[in-house]
Amino acid sequence: MSVVQRADRKLVVMKVACFIFTALISVGSSIGDDAILIRAKHVLTMEGKILEPGAVLVRDGKIAVVAEGIEAQGAKVVDTEWLMPGLVNAATSFGIAGGTSEISSEVTPDFETSAAIDFQSRDLLEAIDEGITTAHVLPGTQSVFSGYSTIIKTSGSGANHSMPRILLPHHGLTVALSSDPTSFNRARSRPDSVFVRQPTNRMGVVWILRSSFHKTTQNLRASGFDENSQKILQDVLAGKLPVFTVSRKDVDIQSGFQLQDEFGFKPIIVGGDEVYRVMDAILERKPTIIYTAMINAANSRELRGTEGTERRFNVVGQLAVAEIPFCLAGEKLLDQARFATRFGLDRSVALESITSKSAKALQQDKSVGSIAVGKDADLLAFNGDPLEFTSSIQWTMVDGRIIETNTGR
Amino acid sequence: MDHGRWKNHRNEYRPIEWPLAATENEQPMKILRYIFCLQCFVAPCALLSAADTLAIKGAKIVTLAGDAIENGVIVIRDGKIEAVGANVSIPIEAHVIDATGKVVMPGFIDAHTSDGLNEANERNEVVPFLSVVDSINPVLDYFEESRRNGVTTAAIVPGNSTIIGGQAAILKTAGQYVDDMIVKRNAGIKISLRPASGTRMSQLARLRRELDKAKIASEKKNSGEETKPEATTPEAPKQADAPKPEGTPPEGGDTSTPSSATPTATDAENVAKGTEAMMAVVEGKLPVFLYCDTAMDVSAGKQLVEDYKLNAIFVLGRDCYKAAKLLSDRKQPVILDKNLVFWETNPRTRKDEKIILPKIYRDANVPFVFQTSEGSLRSATTSSSYLWYQAAIAVKYGTPEIEALKSLSLAPAQLLGIQDVVGSIEVGKDADLVVLTGDPLRLATWVDKTIIHGKVVYDRSTDQKLKRLLSPKAE
Repeated sequence: MSVVQRADRKLVVMKVACFIFTALISVGSSIGDDAILIRAKHVLTMEGKILEPGAVLVRDGKIAVVAEGIEAQGAKVVDTEWLMPGLVNAATSFGIAGGTSEISSEVTPDFETSAAIDFQSRDLLEAIDEGITTAHVLPGTQSVFSGYSTIIKTSGSGANHSMPRILLPHHGLTVALSSDPTSFNRARSRPDSVFVRQPTNRMGVVWILRSSFHKTTQNLRASGFDENSQKILQDVLAGKLPVFTVSRKDVDIQSGFQLQDEFGFKPIIVGGDEVYRVMDAILERKPTIIYTAMINAANSRELRGTEGTERRFNVVGQLAVAEIPFCLAGEKLLDQARFATRFGLDRSVALESITSKSAKALQQDKSVGSIAVGKDADLLAFNGDPLEFTSSIQWTMVDGRIIETNTGR
Repeated sequence: MDHGRWKNHRNEYRPIEWPLAATENEQPMKILRYIFCLQCFVAPCALLSAADTLAIKGAKIVTLAGDAIENGVIVIRDGKIEAVGANVSIPIEAHVIDATGKVVMPGFIDAHTSDGLNEANERNEVVPFLSVVDSINPVLDYFEESRRNGVTTAAIVPGNSTIIGGQAAILKTAGQYVDDMIVKRNAGIKISLRPASGTRMSQLARLRRELDKAKIASEKKNSGEETKPEATTPEAPKQADAPKPEGTPPEGGDTSTPSSATPTATDAENVAKGTEAMMAVVEGKLPVFLYCDTAMDVSAGKQLVEDYKLNAIFVLGRDCYKAAKLLSDRKQPVILDKNLVFWETNPRTRKDEKIILPKIYRDANVPFVFQTSEGSLRSATTSSSYLWYQAAIAVKYGTPEIEALKSLSLAPAQLLGIQDVVGSIEVGKDADLVVLTGDPLRLATWVDKTIIHGKVVYDRSTDQKLKRLLSPKAE
């Protein structure tokens, strides 16, 4: 078969696929009672396609059909203006009951946030209200090896939705590669204080990381690790477990790259406030960046000062131009995307960076982050363009269940 | 009102002063220099006055004083709006701004802010004799950001951490000298019901004592008696954790403050100024920016207003929504907290509630205007930094758009008593205008030009800071 023929066949296949995608689809009588047909004037799929109008059929908590028009007898029909996938918050600490950090030890890699998430917490209510359906919950960064991060759905399972809906309890290892773990430690505090521990400075943070990984490569037990937690380091070095390094300043990011060179694992940067200072290294290595500095920037004069927003917004633009895999995370995700758009980021890139790009950064793009057949039915209905300040979320759907937005009092 | 000063920016004339410094034997030279300088500076001034006629054409004009005018013309002469309408002819001498496709609104008015002040709060707790005018710093970012975001007028008010915090002033947001910016010098007095030190009981007692004194002084004055300068006692500076018992005179330990036991001449002056201001307050001539921190302060505040016949502008903390219904009989708008939407957990039922202030106050029939985050909280992503963002949030939660737009300009103008000069696009008012790149409150809409007194004080095309922000470059 010649190249031309092959190309032709490909085109035909694509045309057929397009036809199926856009045509009015009728779903037979096999449809269940719990099926929901959502019809919207605009459907932002985050798959590079906007359907105007569009329809999504949801069955058993999954997206069953996506098309411009669907006829499904027996399905409950819901009409709305704008529809988009639920938001994915790629880095947060919400829902963790009590403290987010273990302060008594610098090495707690096998601590799991999944064990501490309170599904009754107001954080989760607020998250759903803001359109977040999937969240990556990281432990706090008072310890160097902070613990396992967890990926959750914001709405629980069970009859009262109070049971945890945890997608991945051990998604990745969170490592604080910043000065955070030193913040309370004092060499000369009371001997019975939990803060009489290493590290008391940033050198100590890097030393603990390097020494632990080094010992692991020598098949030695790293200090402070037991058999279980030692296994985590082995998994990291074998590339089986992603590492999320919480790094804000340029030196922190550089240190991460050094460790990457020495031990071969590829850290995913959480924070990234000062990536603009190490852009050469970023362009060379193209790490995944979960950028959280749009709202909460590191405490530096450059970022918090009067022209700080200038640098912070430019970071997102630079990353987008350089095609670095990045996403936005933290508080007020929608407003982050709105302001990013207002300050020059492409509309669709801004929306992707709180949905599909976030899902990709978490390697969950097979199940969440866009409107596509087979993915979880996590959807948001808006009464207007989602990027407008005046538009509000009417309801959030998590796993096929509609949760009406709190209209306040 | 000091509008006249606008035409005479001091910096235009100032360079003329330098030949005066010449020594005496340089007299002929001095005269020559004088002539040279006059030519240098008078000539451009003459040109300026020729360009004092400005016309904006092609824009949609949201006048806030009637329907919007599509494709309208605004003619501005000598800093005032001379004509506005769809069929207005443009004078031949006018400098024309083509705003086709854009939207013109009256300049936004910040009804209550302590930004623009070097320090928001005085350490002394009763300081009616002080004026913010002495603390305003025209080069603070606040003013630059204001112009960038279309705010042309701001009521600068002392902070909320005192009892009687001093006098507010209303300013235009452009100018090198505070005097040039002033719209209203004595625009009101800040009274806070949040305890500055001690308890609410002592806060209210001290406040009532001051108001009573002012009332007595006012009655004496009206019956022809001489006012005694002792009427208002400046108090000792705030002490960290020792609230002073009522009735004890302030100790005279610190002679550097006006609280020393033996008043100096300056003290007497201050006392007289303070008495004058407080008399104006109880006579209803000087408005009071009455800060209520919690819901209970609202009823206390209402009682004060009734007892002393105050002309009060209610500045509400976020908790005050619980008393929103108490304010529904007032015609004047209240000033809402900067956090328009927040969550609370009911301490008894543990029920989580979403509190939407614009919705609650609308439901209670209380008109409102906005304020913005202050100081370090001000940044492009802590979105409550912008008045327009606050208005957009109100629209999001059900406020009709025209009402939200009025709360950016006309409503605060009426509230501050400056509606004859600013607040809408009407003939005779100050030419304080915002040219927007598109419809107001939209994501992609930017302030294109800000005009104060007919002069362009902000132009987006020359805003280097914004340019850098808007053009990300890969390095």
